Amino acid sequence: MLSIGTTRRVRRGMVREWRLHALSVFSLAVAFVCLGSALLVVTNLKGVEERWTHAGRASVYLKDGATQDDVDALRAALDRVPGVRGVHYLSSGDARIEFGQRELEGNRKLAAVPVEAFPASIEIEVAPETPESDLADMVAKMKQLPSVDGIETYRSWTEKLARLVRGGVAASALLALVVLAAVLAVVGSTMRLALQRRRAEVEVLKLVGATDGFVRNPFVVEGSVQGALGAMGAIALLGVLFLLIRGRLDSELAALVGVEPSFLPWQVAVAMVVLGGVLGGVAALASVRRLAAI
Amino acid sequence: MERFRPVLRAGNARFSREAAQRPILLFEDVYKSYRQGAPVLRGVNLVIERGEFVFVTGPSGSGKSTLLRLLYRAETVDDGRILFLGRDVARLRDDAIPFLRRNVGIVFQDFKLVSSWSAHENVAVALEVLGLPQRLIRARVGEALERVGLAGRGDDPVGVFSGGEQQRVSIARAIVGEPALILADEPTGNLDPQLAIDILGLLEEVHESGTTVVFATHDRTLLEVRPRRVVVLDEGKAIDVPQGIATDEYDNRLPL
Repeated sequence: MLSIGTTRRVRRGMVREWRLHALSVFSLAVAFVCLGSALLVVTNLKGVEERWTHAGRASVYLKDGATQDDVDALRAALDRVPGVRGVHYLSSGDARIEFGQRELEGNRKLAAVPVEAFPASIEIEVAPETPESDLADMVAKMKQLPSVDGIETYRSWTEKLARLVRGGVAASALLALVVLAAVLAVVGSTMRLALQRRRAEVEVLKLVGATDGFVRNPFVVEGSVQGALGAMGAIALLGVLFLLIRGRLDSELAALVGVEPSFLPWQVAVAMVVLGGVLGGVAALASVRRLAAI
Repeated sequence: MERFRPVLRAGNARFSREAAQRPILLFEDVYKSYRQGAPVLRGVNLVIERGEFVFVTGPSGSGKSTLLRLLYRAETVDDGRILFLGRDVARLRDDAIPFLRRNVGIVFQDFKLVSSWSAHENVAVALEVLGLPQRLIRARVGEALERVGLAGRGDDPVGVFSGGEQQRVSIARAIVGEPALILADEPTGNLDPQLAIDILGLLEEVHESGTTVVFATHDRTLLEVRPRRVVVLDEGKAIDVPQGIATDEYDNRLPL
């Protein structure tokens, strides 16, 4: 708990040297924006990954020679499988039309693709809570059927996305190290400068019997406040940018990936502020430790 | 951890009769040098009793400031002992030094004030380090400023004060914690003669309330206007002149 005297000295120090502190907070905010951006990307990628993992879709592609009887038998068999919520047959023609609506408008070369290029399929909707193992079992059994050409469960996409998320997490960890170095350098330099400017004050404090802790505490608190303010500034800046970008984002893109873009969860935002505060305090302590000694 | 404990402060609940019998300051064979082969102090022996007012004088470079700096542990002795209230200052651990300094009020030639602070803030800092409540600090700082003739000036920044007023603020800071000892290191060095006499008078008033005062100066006129004990530092040794130089028979032999 901070004493009233320490709080007053912190306030006095920050007010009298507000330019120095503002510059430091700005520098820290820039560093935290990098970290925050990476975390924002990871958060949204993770959202897409979650959505796709639990999308519960599979496409059973049929061989060209599959008859209507084969299709009916397959549909009947699938209807009886636990976890399957819906089964929908998509003929080559329907697939051609669906693809054309989405992709071929304005592209004549693609419009010339023959209808045979689009295999007929049975689209299956699986309950999100269906275990991966059950889905894998069902896929393995269906692959044995003579009329089935292949099955797409979209797992390869989610795996790619998971790799992307892992890459994003690694990049965020790296950026966290960069932020750590930035906080140590910026707060350390600011505090050393502040200490030099308040040399007379420190000398007087020591002469009247202040302990090392009494001399150092306000600097440590100032460093901590700088770190926390820098992180808060970065979050605010990211929030404004996020709102601007989301407003311009094509809603069809959101519909395509299946999720709306989301901002940093509040826990992550709080963790960034706490990280800023702790790092700022540690950096200040490390930089004034020797200089403020008796 | 050894902490410096005041035993002789007025009103201290742990007043020790035995400690009260001992001299407040005792220098035993104190040596100090900043350069090899050029000692500033060479075997200084000195006893200062509680409640004394002592001038320390000598030519420039004789070691007056060094003697005082050794006392509040801005410097450490090379050899010998300095006992303050029975404790060896030279052997104190670093973390005990602040507790020593809380028992010593120090007045400097260059005042050592923070010019951007008000007079109140400059004096209050000596009590803030003790962790006293703000209400008590306000009251005691007000009393101290009144004692030095600066009542009602507490809110003024000391940067606008004259030299004499700044030295008064410095004295208020030194006395506000009611220390057992006041060290004044050339406190009149930057002041004109009349102001110098005023400051001396102020420190004498502090002394009359029972505080021990060690006043380092090279200003002979101050020594002549007050017949007080003088310790002359010459060639690293202390020469004691108990009755003051104005009346002392050894006057002509003193290197002043």
